[in-house]
Amino acid sequence: MKRYAVLAVLAVGMFASAPVLAETVKVLSIEPNVKEGRDFYASAIEKFEKANPDIKIQFDYLDDTSFKSKLPTLLQSSARPDIFYTWTGGVFHEQADAGVLKDISGEVDKKTLDTFAPGGIKALTYNDKLYGLPMYAGVVVLFYNKELTQKAGVDPTTIKTWDDFLAAVKTIKDAGITPIVVGGKSKWPLQHYYGYLATRIAGVDGIAAAKAGENDGLAGPDFVKAGEEFKKLADLQPFQPGFMDTDNSKAGGLFGDGRGAFILAGNYMIGAQKRNSTSGQGISDDKLGFIPFPVITGGKGDPADTFGGINGWLVSKNATPAASKFLASLMNLDNQTVSAGMDLWLPIVKGADAGIRNANVKAIANLLAAAPHHQLYLDQELGANVGAAMNDASAELATGDISPDEAAQMVEEAHQMH
Amino acid sequence: MRSDGSLTALMLFLPPAVLLFSLFVIWPIFTAVDLSFYKWNGYGDVTNFVGFDNYGILLKNSIFHQSLFNSFKLLLASIFLQIPLALVLALLLYRKTSANTAFRLIFFAPYILAEIATGLIWSFIFDGDYGVSAMVADKLGSEPFYILADKQWAFWTIITVVVWKYFGYHMMIFIAALQAVPTDLIEAAEIDGASPLKTIWYVKLPMILHAIKLSVLFAITGALQVFDIIIPLTNGGPSNSTHSIVSFLYTFGLARMNVGFGAAVGVVLFILCVGTAFSYKRLAIDKGGQL
Amino acid sequence: MKRSSLLSQLLRAAFLTFIAALVILPLLATFLGGFKTLGELRAAPFGFPSHWSFDVFIDILTGPVFWTYLRNSLVISLSAVVLTLLCASMAAYVFAQIRFFGSRYLQSYMLLGMMFPFATAIVPLFFQINRFGLLDNPLGIILPQTAFSMAFAVILLRSFFQQLPKELFEAAYVDGCGYVGFFFRFTLPLSTPILATVGTFVFVQSWNNYLLPLVVLNEQSLFTWPLGIMQFRGEFIVEWNRILAFVSLTILPALVFFTFTQKYIVAGLTRGSVKG
Repeated sequence: MKRYAVLAVLAVGMFASAPVLAETVKVLSIEPNVKEGRDFYASAIEKFEKANPDIKIQFDYLDDTSFKSKLPTLLQSSARPDIFYTWTGGVFHEQADAGVLKDISGEVDKKTLDTFAPGGIKALTYNDKLYGLPMYAGVVVLFYNKELTQKAGVDPTTIKTWDDFLAAVKTIKDAGITPIVVGGKSKWPLQHYYGYLATRIAGVDGIAAAKAGENDGLAGPDFVKAGEEFKKLADLQPFQPGFMDTDNSKAGGLFGDGRGAFILAGNYMIGAQKRNSTSGQGISDDKLGFIPFPVITGGKGDPADTFGGINGWLVSKNATPAASKFLASLMNLDNQTVSAGMDLWLPIVKGADAGIRNANVKAIANLLAAAPHHQLYLDQELGANVGAAMNDASAELATGDISPDEAAQMVEEAHQMH
Repeated sequence: MRSDGSLTALMLFLPPAVLLFSLFVIWPIFTAVDLSFYKWNGYGDVTNFVGFDNYGILLKNSIFHQSLFNSFKLLLASIFLQIPLALVLALLLYRKTSANTAFRLIFFAPYILAEIATGLIWSFIFDGDYGVSAMVADKLGSEPFYILADKQWAFWTIITVVVWKYFGYHMMIFIAALQAVPTDLIEAAEIDGASPLKTIWYVKLPMILHAIKLSVLFAITGALQVFDIIIPLTNGGPSNSTHSIVSFLYTFGLARMNVGFGAAVGVVLFILCVGTAFSYKRLAIDKGGQL
Repeated sequence: MKRSSLLSQLLRAAFLTFIAALVILPLLATFLGGFKTLGELRAAPFGFPSHWSFDVFIDILTGPVFWTYLRNSLVISLSAVVLTLLCASMAAYVFAQIRFFGSRYLQSYMLLGMMFPFATAIVPLFFQINRFGLLDNPLGIILPQTAFSMAFAVILLRSFFQQLPKELFEAAYVDGCGYVGFFFRFTLPLSTPILATVGTFVFVQSWNNYLLPLVVLNEQSLFTWPLGIMQFRGEFIVEWNRILAFVSLTILPALVFFTFTQKYIVAGLTRGSVKG
């Protein structure tokens, strides 16, 4: 061991930078990929460091895929960040179970906690311990291109049930317009359909029960039914040609270019369809509409339930109190009102929605506020392995490679393996 | 002890290479073998011993069968498409002229390109909406085709890209070998009235047989290790039909944090590589002399 | 030499040009892509840009990260090249010149390294690097990279060394020069071509490696360029023109490196690997 120590000392001597006097808090974030996102973090850090001269924030970005694949090993190494980005759900629970996180319940006072919407705090709590703070939510809705639906003679605002939606898709297709754009290569956009249908049919409680293994788990009748309903849609061949070679960003661009009438996506799509479009302009705000995901008649889920993400930050073990101090500051009303102004994220801190500028974003935020439950994306909810199986199953349902029964079985197999 | 300093050389020269190699290649292999007997999600202690379960699941997994088959197809393409192409080009280009040097530079350029960049560039080209595919379809006035989304054809694109990227590497090996063929031999054949084709077949090819054998060995180990190209190109899709063994390992073992399962895939891959390479070496190379 | 007929010359040129076009077109599209706006890139990926926009290139070149990535990549790749050449040539020299018990087994053992891509054992490798305290440290990439290049390097170098005339050593031995001295005074200087060859291959591999830096490096100030490329690919948006410009700029150093070493490569391969 001694030899390694010598090697390490040599190495550090050769490459490390000068010692830092102030305490450093290391943060690892995913790449926000819009300039405003980076600017937001930079200014929040600057304000914090000014107020706390003894603490330095080292804020590193990593793209989504790299972030996910390196985090598990990283968290168990000496180089682990003090704070890191999270999609909450199953992966967060695995991390908590492995003991790589820090319970910060004692470090965040009640006054701060009360500034958050309760659902947000719940998402960062596991076994009654608080491991981090939530920052924003995302809600999936059905966006539509008003010009195209009008051309096809469809009024999306009248769509209430899944059957209404299927009928509308048929009408649009008959009018020679691609009904739906989807990023099938990314797989999870297809899971939005499967997952949202399951949320409508089984309800949030039903999904929790299935996760716990009740009623045949994820292969239970409700999930098979969700697959059958999804298959009804897939059988109409509603997606743009080559949808399995379209990733989510390109899908956003195609939708922005008017290559399809609907896209099922989170609120971020309002901006993403503009940025990724050929012209960079996309569909203007007044030509872009949205409806909540349709209801399944007889489903156990509340029609007002939403489906989407809750994202935030986790604190890793051995982090000093400076970490939670920074998080609390990042999440203060001032900062969060600024972040809401980017129209990218739905704020979780109460009152920050005053910063939202875009009307569609505001309407979606209201949808979330009125929802009795907010179901986490199923791939996040179920953790890395089962979640990926869920995405695979959704993709193969969409291409017609497997039956609803087989899809549900496939997910449950992964579920039991874990 | 010999007085020529051979022992000193032995003690001084061997350890750095052997030590580094053992620490960073062999040790991880053994750890992987050990891990393959556990179920482990990458977090916390490794305690859940499952015996050969991971191997059992692997052997039953239909996607793994597909990726084995895909890797085999890549191997065949490397040997029967790539090497002949490289050989033809080497025969055309081995003489030292400045035009030949320029062509060589061009043909070798893809090899320098990073796999990850190669995948990105080609995914852009095969794009049925904005790439060449789209342009060609547009010119022909036909429906655009989405080759990367097609289960039947997607893997052919990967084969194409692999050949595109590595043929220059094999070409260089052949050029080097051809330049070493004594010119008087070739001239003698030509004076005897042998046609160019006959000269190639009876003089040049036998003289560079060693290079061809070596090249095939590199092609075999290379084909079994294809990975970085697939991830940006198809990411294994559609419907997990275009995985190679390594991208299967990455997707199902690493990205989904079934570390034990991934380790089992690694062990199987390793046995395959060593088995193929060593039996090839015994069959083709040892018989005809050393490597 | 017989003069080929005009027709066969034409066929030859046509064939070579055709293959060259297949190679160049994708690369050209990459290079030109950096000058286009995102919109134009989608509408006309292969044509010349209607308006040459240097913004993206200037953005990258004047931004702080590009030069950081480039410097990191250079430091790591060059160190890996030097270390590999040193360790591998010493070992190859022993294998080529000195008969000792277990030599064949040791060589077969080293050959195993060629069968083993990084991805196979990246997790165990990560824990090994962590154990040595080399995470977030360029050495954490240089040492494993060297180890993984070792097998290939030793094979090529050994064959080359075996062909150095034995008489040379005997003469040197009479002059009182041992194996160690001979290696530094004669073998290495005589081996420039093969060293350049092996060096180029190691450089290219290290320069393009993605997975290893990904798991070893966390601090952005230490990132190598493949990590930098992935940095541009975010969750919801792909800035293709930026990625293509970045790729173009990073191929350049490898291309320059290769242009300088290419004449040695052929010479090195000729004498190193392929003569029996």
